[in-house]
Amino acid sequence: MANLLSVQQLDKSFGNRRVLHGVNFEVAAGHIVALVGPNGAGKSTIMKAVLGLIPTDGGHLTIDSQPVSITSHQALAHVGALIEYPGIYPFLTGKQHLELFADKENRDTNMTQIVEALGMTSYIDHKAKQYSLGMKQKLGIAQALVNHPKLVILDEPMNGLDPQAVKDLRDYIRKMADQGTSFLISSHILSELEKLADDVLILNHGKIVQQSSMGELVASGGTSYVITTADDASAKTALMAAGLQLVPAEKIMIRQQNEKTLNQVLQTLVNANIEITDVVKVQHDLEESFLDMVNTPTTKEDK
Amino acid sequence: MGTLIKQELYKLTHKKGTWIAIGIMVVLQIIPALVQKADSEFFQLSSLISNDYLGGGLYLFIMIASAASIIAMEFQYGTIKQLLYRQYYRSQVFISKLIVIFMQLVVLKVISTIMTFTLTALLFPSFDWDQKIEGSQTLLQLYFLGMGGNVLVTVFLLSVVILIATLLKTNAAAITSGFIGYFVSMAASSVLLLLINKWHWLRFNPFSMLMTSSQIISPDMSQATLMSTPLMITLTFVYTILFTFIAYFSFRKRSV
Ligand SMILES: Nc1ncnc2c1ncn2[C@@H]1O[C@H](COP(=O)(O)OP(=O)(O)OP(=O)(O)O)[C@@H](O)[C@H]1O
Ligand SMILES: [Mg+2]
Repeated sequence: MANLLSVQQLDKSFGNRRVLHGVNFEVAAGHIVALVGPNGAGKSTIMKAVLGLIPTDGGHLTIDSQPVSITSHQALAHVGALIEYPGIYPFLTGKQHLELFADKENRDTNMTQIVEALGMTSYIDHKAKQYSLGMKQKLGIAQALVNHPKLVILDEPMNGLDPQAVKDLRDYIRKMADQGTSFLISSHILSELEKLADDVLILNHGKIVQQSSMGELVASGGTSYVITTADDASAKTALMAAGLQLVPAEKIMIRQQNEKTLNQVLQTLVNANIEITDVVKVQHDLEESFLDMVNTPTTKEDK
Repeated sequence: MGTLIKQELYKLTHKKGTWIAIGIMVVLQIIPALVQKADSEFFQLSSLISNDYLGGGLYLFIMIASAASIIAMEFQYGTIKQLLYRQYYRSQVFISKLIVIFMQLVVLKVISTIMTFTLTALLFPSFDWDQKIEGSQTLLQLYFLGMGGNVLVTVFLLSVVILIATLLKTNAAAITSGFIGYFVSMAASSVLLLLINKWHWLRFNPFSMLMTSSQIISPDMSQATLMSTPLMITLTFVYTILFTFIAYFSFRKRSV
């Protein structure tokens, strides 16, 4: 499938500090791509570069094959974005904000649609200075989505949203993606992204450390077994003596290496005459894969 | 570009302050007019009229506040990213703001002028616009000459305000420096003229350009400013363009 957004070898420094190191990735048409990474990893910086809001120090950005930079913005005609926090004119109502940004064609239908989808109807005619944090956030998202752009860039869109709003937003994003809109979304709420995204980019210290589909990532996190015994200490010794790798944890936790792992473990314990009281299978989710990914070097040094 | 100008106008006209300012300006024109009507010795009528019944002078301060906020509010409200990520060039965004500021200036000037003529016609119907004040020019001619000079100096001052607003990104700083700059240089113009008399090259400094409007009405001032009126007008334009360009260049590559 054609790539709507392409980022190649993107470098960025603030003064002497190198923030992005040769970042490469693509966003395919109709895909929802999650951009995750620890605070300060460079997520917002990537998004600002894609939107031509900051000068870059190298690399090539294209949207729909048209180059984007701080001085060439034609490609951004069909892009909607919310970066970091919503910008709100306190003297305008929510509706007036949308009127201000909405394209002429189908203005009213587009506005009504997004207002209803995000559940903003009851206060859309109030002045935005009276809005709560979440209401402002929804307004910012509505502004990004109102024109049905081809590419939507959302920086931590779930910030301040209540569970209903998070669900409404997720459903709406899914619907738009099914109609062909591409999304690049950053968030720290990994469980949300797991439900939403097709692809995942993990960014750490300004480098993409992992790029894959959500399904692959979750699968690669793999399966572990947590085993409870009558005597955990002897059990650990027995397992280690049998050459089985334990995940460093208080409980007995073993990562599945192949189909035989569990059998091996149980056999070892039975042979050592240790009573097994419980076995729990744990499927790794995005959060754990993420933590593994960004903590890998330090974990190894620790143990 | 049309869209951008429309959006700027939309924001401006949806701010209450825009309308309140016009209201206050008009009221402050009406009050001195009524005072003068009640007591004809209170002001000198011809100077009251050529000063747009005092209230008209408020337009300068309205414009300083408006020019500062049209730039600085986008940074303060955090709306600058939304404004700049779209398909437009930054130059277009910047110019659309300049155009809207100029439109507001024209509208305010037209309103205050219409008020001046209306109040004069209603309250002082016998006022003679054709009387000659000094030399050969009629009061009407001087009125429009003064207006031209005033607009020129205002635009110059606004270029400074816009520059400061773009550099500092805060409303208050730009408005304060606009007001202070104006009052200080008005108050200090005699000092400035003394300094110019001592070091002639000082005459080209930007603050001298705040006297352009005075020199347009009283050409004799050229002996003190050491510049001919056409030169002063030209320099005022040059400084205006220079400051605007500096503002634009700082806006153009700004990270937001
Ligand atoms: N304007 C700036 N000047 C200097 N350094 C900056 C600037 N903006 C960002 N940085 C630095 O760039 C790095 C990446 O910042 P960025 O905002 O992209 O992080 P992020 O991944 O979005 O983090 P978060 O999850 O906290 O939003 C940080 O170390 C930050 O200190
Ligand atoms: Mg961020």
